[in-house]
Amino acid sequence: MSSNSPDKPQLIKNGKRLSGRSFTDLRPLKITAGVLKQADGSAMIEWGKNRIIAAVYGPHEVFPKFLTNNKKALVSARYVMAPFSSLEDHGRSGPNRRSIEISKVAKHVFENAILTSRFPKTIIDIHMDVVQSDGGTRIAAITAASVALADAGIPMKDLVAGVAVGKVDGELVVDLDKTEDNYGESDAAVVISPRTGDILLFQMEGLLTPEEVKRTVRLAKDAAVQVREVQVAALKKRYEQVASELGEQIA
Amino acid sequence: MISDQIKAQFIKDLIKDNKRADGRDFMAYRPIEIEKNVFENCEGSAICKIGDTKVLAGVKIDLATPFPDRPNEGMLSVGCEFSPIAHPSFQAGPPDERSIELARVVDRGIRAANTIDLTKLVVAPGKVMGVFIDLYILDYNGNLTDAAAMAAMSAVKNAIVPKVEQDGEVYKLNHEERKHHLPLGESVVTCTFEKVNGSILLDANIDEENASSGRLTFGTTTTGKICSAQKSGLASFTLEQFDSLIDMSLEQRHALMKLL
Amino acid sequence: MEKKLILPGDEVADTPKRMDGCFIDGGKTYAAVVSMGQDEKVVPLKGKYLPIAGDYVVGVVSEERFSGFNVEINSPYEGQLSARDVRDPLRVDDVVFVKIAFVDEVNGATLADPRRLTGGEMLEIEPTKVPRVIGRNMSMVTMIRDHSATDIFVGKNGRIYLKGNNTSLAVEAILKICRESHTSGLTDRIKQFLENGGNSQ
Repeated sequence: MSSNSPDKPQLIKNGKRLSGRSFTDLRPLKITAGVLKQADGSAMIEWGKNRIIAAVYGPHEVFPKFLTNNKKALVSARYVMAPFSSLEDHGRSGPNRRSIEISKVAKHVFENAILTSRFPKTIIDIHMDVVQSDGGTRIAAITAASVALADAGIPMKDLVAGVAVGKVDGELVVDLDKTEDNYGESDAAVVISPRTGDILLFQMEGLLTPEEVKRTVRLAKDAAVQVREVQVAALKKRYEQVASELGEQIA
Repeated sequence: MISDQIKAQFIKDLIKDNKRADGRDFMAYRPIEIEKNVFENCEGSAICKIGDTKVLAGVKIDLATPFPDRPNEGMLSVGCEFSPIAHPSFQAGPPDERSIELARVVDRGIRAANTIDLTKLVVAPGKVMGVFIDLYILDYNGNLTDAAAMAAMSAVKNAIVPKVEQDGEVYKLNHEERKHHLPLGESVVTCTFEKVNGSILLDANIDEENASSGRLTFGTTTTGKICSAQKSGLASFTLEQFDSLIDMSLEQRHALMKLL
Repeated sequence: MEKKLILPGDEVADTPKRMDGCFIDGGKTYAAVVSMGQDEKVVPLKGKYLPIAGDYVVGVVSEERFSGFNVEINSPYEGQLSARDVRDPLRVDDVVFVKIAFVDEVNGATLADPRRLTGGEMLEIEPTKVPRVIGRNMSMVTMIRDHSATDIFVGKNGRIYLKGNNTSLAVEAILKICRESHTSGLTDRIKQFLENGGNSQ
């Protein structure tokens, strides 16, 4: 963030953001479930210019074996950005400090959401590959991975949904794009369980009053409900056919 | 370790009875002590002790080339080493994901609060000063985050900038001759809360951390702003818990700021 | 009530009920996996095969031990076959049709009544489609067997072993079932398909 940079454009004009959105509008958001053949579950998210592919493998046996937990499934999460994913420079491939931290907190989210006790002695691998980045990649990646997990048939307490909320030109706005992310005054990545309204991930930086922070999570909570609708649509599209065939068996 | 699991159960049972093993209130810190200027070679240093936890912070100031997208700003970097001296689970080798997270949480707080005015660290076009904060865990007994944030803040506050010497086109720092403090703005401290058996504890010790399902950290500034936050671990927090922990962090910060 | 798609976190019942693919929270029952629901019945649509006592599965011997064999059963969990229950000698990579006799609390399966399968071929389908291939009272699988003169061993774990002189007809019929399993009148169409020797018309 460099809210005092001389290059900073005016981010809000006449109550609208640069992109024409209102303070609470999301960017165009689309999720497609089941985009990969090999993976047990997968999803592609298109959120603004973000393009992220999430794949889930497992549950499967743990290697090396001594890491096995007899009471629950282990969860591994890997978030990486492809070297060609940003508009500016060519990045280095593989994990860096930023992606290691994001992978860690994403893992915590899924350890909470997944009913890990159903699959003792196994591991569930979650991969999130950012192939094009446009601000808010971590919450987009977690949102996609949540759909991929459902697609893999992994039992979960909820479809968790993420959104970024930040302060730009003195206003709290939902779902920051790249420019708002770069020149905003604060940025918070939030993941919510829409079923309970609980906070599963919260990473914030910037200078906010306590009241602004409290409003930040409330805006995120409302937006998460909208994000979940898109997740639901993706899974409906993928499973409507399978569902109708199984319906016959129920009857 | 099996004994850790038994201890964790003991801690959880105690908390159900509204007690902590060391008799503390749920929202009380262990005794905190900060030793300042512990070394001579680095520009600033401090050891923060919270109970038996000890974290050392060293600040080095060097000449550096600015980032291409920030030509008019000095550099700030926070690193962290989990030295094997501090705990049996700390192994030598590639950085632990826990150490990376810790360094980045401390970094975000100091950066977001504009604690160091980086625009005043430009020496000449294309030449700036870099402030390198390194966190070194000496003894891990719980709540590394708050100890590390305070050690870093204290070391930054007492760091003295070396004299810049110019020889034609070449600039160098004279580390023997130190002049003035860094250009500082607001101070930052963090408060870390752990969720143990459904209850929330401030400043968990290591046994309480082993029994914990997750944590929430808030960074607060001198003037009462929130400058950073991090949720870690699988526990979830309700909006009400979230709100009350923000208020608690702001209340606790006064006592912490006095120690810096 | 109408059939509908249920997703993780959706409320299934406002009372606590132990159901497949569901969990209980705060006295209510919620879906944990993508499922098809009607009234208060819930059928999970996807997922790895988890061993259930009484199921027959098609497994592959993966390891020989002193006391018996480990058998890979297309699941995150391996099955164990005691040497005492094995009459004919088995080797690694042998295919067996085997019963799940007992499942422990960490999903470990004890197997029994192994039958070694040789000279045929193995097909893998989604475990959720197995009931459709079997058909009501085994009607579908019996029909395929009669028309193709093929021995068919259908494992609940999604593996099907076929043996005979005209297995290709049986394989085509099974794949057709998997492809068209959501359509109605499937039994008649498969019957016609088999009678025409593999031609749809």
